Amino acid sequence: MRASFLLPAQPNIRGSDTPDRQEGAGPQEPQLEWRGYHLWLTAAVTVAAGGFCALVQGPLWNQDAALAGANLAVSVLFVFTGLMLRREPGQRGVGWALMFAGVLRSLDFVDAWGAGSLVLYTLIFGAADRFFGAWALLRYPNPSLLRHQRVYLALLAGWMLAGRVLIAVTALPQWDGAPASSWWWPSLAPDPRLNDVVNYVVNAGEGLFGAALLVLLVMRLLRTTGLDRIVITPIIVAGLAAVMAAAASAVVQMLSTLNGTPNGVYIVESAVDLTVPLAFFVAVIQRTLLLRNITALTAQISGGADIGAVRYALRSTLHDPTLEILDLSAPGPDAAGPADEADRLVEFIRTEEGAPIAVVIADPVLGRYRGLFDAAVQTSGLALKNAQLQEQAACEKLEQVRASRARIVEAGLAERRRIERDLHDGVQQHLLGLAAQLTVAIAHSSDEVACGALAQVRDGLREVLAELRDLAHGIHPAVLSYGGLAAALEDVAERLPLAVRVSAPVTRVATAVEATAYFVACEALANVVKHARAGSATVTVCVDESKLDLQIADDGVGGVESRGRGLSNILDRVNALDGEVTIVSPPGRGTRLEVRIPCG
Amino acid sequence: MRLAIAEDSGLFRSSLTLLLEASGAEITASTASGPELLEALGTCLPDAVIIDIRMPPSFTDEGIATAAELRRLYPHVGVLVLSTYAETSYASQLLETVHTGVGYLLKDNVTDARTLMDGLARVAAGETVIDPAIVRRLLERNRTPNTIDTLNERERAVLAHMAEGRSNVGIAKELFLSPRTVEAHVTSIFGKLRLDQVETDNNRVRAVLAFLRSAGTGS
Repeated sequence: MRASFLLPAQPNIRGSDTPDRQEGAGPQEPQLEWRGYHLWLTAAVTVAAGGFCALVQGPLWNQDAALAGANLAVSVLFVFTGLMLRREPGQRGVGWALMFAGVLRSLDFVDAWGAGSLVLYTLIFGAADRFFGAWALLRYPNPSLLRHQRVYLALLAGWMLAGRVLIAVTALPQWDGAPASSWWWPSLAPDPRLNDVVNYVVNAGEGLFGAALLVLLVMRLLRTTGLDRIVITPIIVAGLAAVMAAAASAVVQMLSTLNGTPNGVYIVESAVDLTVPLAFFVAVIQRTLLLRNITALTAQISGGADIGAVRYALRSTLHDPTLEILDLSAPGPDAAGPADEADRLVEFIRTEEGAPIAVVIADPVLGRYRGLFDAAVQTSGLALKNAQLQEQAACEKLEQVRASRARIVEAGLAERRRIERDLHDGVQQHLLGLAAQLTVAIAHSSDEVACGALAQVRDGLREVLAELRDLAHGIHPAVLSYGGLAAALEDVAERLPLAVRVSAPVTRVATAVEATAYFVACEALANVVKHARAGSATVTVCVDESKLDLQIADDGVGGVESRGRGLSNILDRVNALDGEVTIVSPPGRGTRLEVRIPCG
Repeated sequence: MRLAIAEDSGLFRSSLTLLLEASGAEITASTASGPELLEALGTCLPDAVIIDIRMPPSFTDEGIATAAELRRLYPHVGVLVLSTYAETSYASQLLETVHTGVGYLLKDNVTDARTLMDGLARVAAGETVIDPAIVRRLLERNRTPNTIDTLNERERAVLAHMAEGRSNVGIAKELFLSPRTVEAHVTSIFGKLRLDQVETDNNRVRAVLAFLRSAGTGS
């Protein structure tokens, strides 16, 4: 944004800022100069032009101060606006045109002095300000004119010059308000009727050129898109008003040739013309206000957004529906990068290390809004990087949760193994020792009553030992540690009142995976025995480097609800190791439970 | 009968020694681990050894490894593995590792000196012994469909004794039948269960155990 003189809060870059910015990024420099030298130059040129314009109107101040004041206001504002526009990239020409138009505007009324030469000047060059105004309106903010616009301006200039010279040569000096003594007046063919006709024709022609300019301006507005449209709309609207006022003025001039044109018409035209520099001001302010879009963009996406959200935000912020942003961070169809985008504006978004994350391809018009465009692209880059970081953090968090769940499972299993070992090595051996001694006591007891009592104790002890064995086995089956999943599952199968075929490899996998598969199979088979009314079941285990697949199928009644309690235990166990559970249970056609646990 | 013991639990070991001596056995060595037992046997060999299945250092199946090593070193010493695990997989594993004069009994049998001494005598004689409680559990398993239902009561008793590792002569003695009758029953059982006749007692026990473990599943 070059027109930053409108932002008094801009930081004073020189002296206090970071080194890399001091080294002078191109776009920043004009702002610095503006604050000193250019400010004074603008003020000086404006004051000088204003003084000149006040002076040249001399006697008009006495005749019609309101008109002279209006002219002066138009001139000063045009000159000031022109000076400002010269600061914008590619707008130097428009700036000059506006300054010319401003100065020429007051110069139009130099005939008020009454001198014949000055009257002749006004007669011939009195519409030059309109020519330069039309030029500025057609060009801004493009770097050059289109062909038909150039043709129009050439025809306009030619018509005005030739027509007005024709008026002069068909008139006597006094007819146009010059002293009759102006012997040098080029009255080649003075004829009042001819002069009237020429006057009509020339002024009508200028009116038609005004109408043509209206059409050209409307065409420009319709053809312009995006940010350009926002910026030039006020200018075109003011231009339309000014052209209509000028055309009206030309018509009045045409109709009132003999009586002289009433000054009121010029005052009204001046008042309307004032809207043109004001519109340029509005345009400059619009461009400044566009920066607010960046604030909105930042609020919208800076927290982190995916490529689609960034694309949507960029398109609306930069008013460019053709804008495209391609993700280059992940290999994919997009990663080939932009192809055949020669005349488009292309900007890469990179990581700190310089690796491309994404590429923005936009309407080249946005090159004129480089500051806005760069800020938007930078904001998008931040958003994409944030999103990447968030994704990384989420992954790490998930990994931590996974690891911690696996540790909990591991710790739970270790605890069960410890309890089983304590039972086995402590209570069980102790009771067995007592049982052996009791047997000796029975063998050596000759007392019949004592023998009977001891035999009862022995039978009770047997039951206790059997219960203890089942308890220890339930807590953790030692066979699982010793023989692995295959042996443990076969032992489960042989305890069930159901034909169960077990197919499992002897391959060993991680303890937690084995134990989970074992307990899941036990739970599932218990469910089959309790609910399925099945004749047989199969348990199948497949193991490869990355996963263990367990399938328990029965030929029972099916129709298992996926939210039953037995199943939720299975889900909890499998989820704890990040596995998956699938259940297929059509009514009447058996149940198949499939469990996949990652391992390795 | 001369016996040696490898058992890591001191309390159980001393109680077992007491029981065996009370039953008329002579304990030639009493050790806390397999390697110690093998070292202690040395010069004067026992008729049979009693080995705890779960001993240091890993407390899983050291007993089976010790049994295998013992059989390799001393082919004629009976090996009885005592265990608190009633799972058939340990017994199957033992029978696959050691082929003759081997037995798998639950430690619960210290409440029944007769079964214990009988098992020791049989492994010392080169027979195979499987704990009757394990066989009973396999037989009583309430399966559907149950091929064992096609056997009559006498045949089921013969099958149970075959699973426990008894020879035809042993079964005849237990059931008060003539060896010839037992032989006829065995042939009938093998026919009904569609099992192949096997040569050795050990193979017969393993075949029957495998059948009992998987019966009804068609494998």
